Amino acid sequence: MAEQEITAKEKQQVEGQEKTRAGRYFLPRVDIYEFADSIKLWVDMPGVKESDVVVTHKDGVLTITGTVSTEAYEKLAPLYTEYNVGNYFRQFELNEDVDDQQIAALMKNGVLELTLPKGERSQPRRIEIKAG
Amino acid sequence: MALLRFSSDLDPVSNLLTLQTELERFLRNPAIRLGVSGPGDFPPVNIFDDGDGIVVMAEVPGMDPASLNVSGQSHTLTIKGERKRETVGDAAGYHRRERPFGEFSRSVQLPDELDLDKAAATYEAGMLTVRVPKAESAKPRQIAVKPA
Repeated sequence: MAEQEITAKEKQQVEGQEKTRAGRYFLPRVDIYEFADSIKLWVDMPGVKESDVVVTHKDGVLTITGTVSTEAYEKLAPLYTEYNVGNYFRQFELNEDVDDQQIAALMKNGVLELTLPKGERSQPRRIEIKAG
Repeated sequence: MALLRFSSDLDPVSNLLTLQTELERFLRNPAIRLGVSGPGDFPPVNIFDDGDGIVVMAEVPGMDPASLNVSGQSHTLTIKGERKRETVGDAAGYHRRERPFGEFSRSVQLPDELDLDKAAATYEAGMLTVRVPKAESAKPRQIAVKPA
């Protein structure tokens, strides 16, 4: 038996500012961990190839877009479905100062791994105390 | 049964809309019984007919293909594995933890007479696709009419 109950949560649709976009956009599920010198994000985007991911960072806003291809569904007739298929979109306002030039992104098996190194302003700095 | 056909002039938006509408129409189709597992179990599955058999697609991102176990017994297709969290040993903490992890086992009762011996599975971009062809005996056959 499985040690841990793992359930499939229903995909959440993007709401609000993206209403003008055609079709459904889904919010990819994300894990965000903070390390001493960086912030790491893991984003689940099943069905998205590495060539179809766009990550931008502008004015402190990180934008992640993943596009799915409909090719695999050509000439298939649905019989039973549990999830819908759509592009992924998610934005985060970064609270920390991030070094733009050093952002690293890796896409593997439908999971995007983003490493955002903290900029100098976010690094802990020891303030030297002088004797009076 | 209408097969999905997308317009050949590359229009990704309308193709996606067609697909989304069709997937919505068959959401939890009560005509198909899956057996012990159902909607809400991981991984979520979509089932299609491709004319030659059944295609089962499951969203299981972030797996090592070697650790995905797909097996079949009579009419039951089983997908098993364990989804492991990435190593975050020296993390100072986390801000969001929305992704599901753990062991999973999902069995799907397949309709019709299918040949599970000839099933083939592929894993790409976090999507598991299992194709199960129809058994020879279940395929349509022309019966010759002899003159009396």
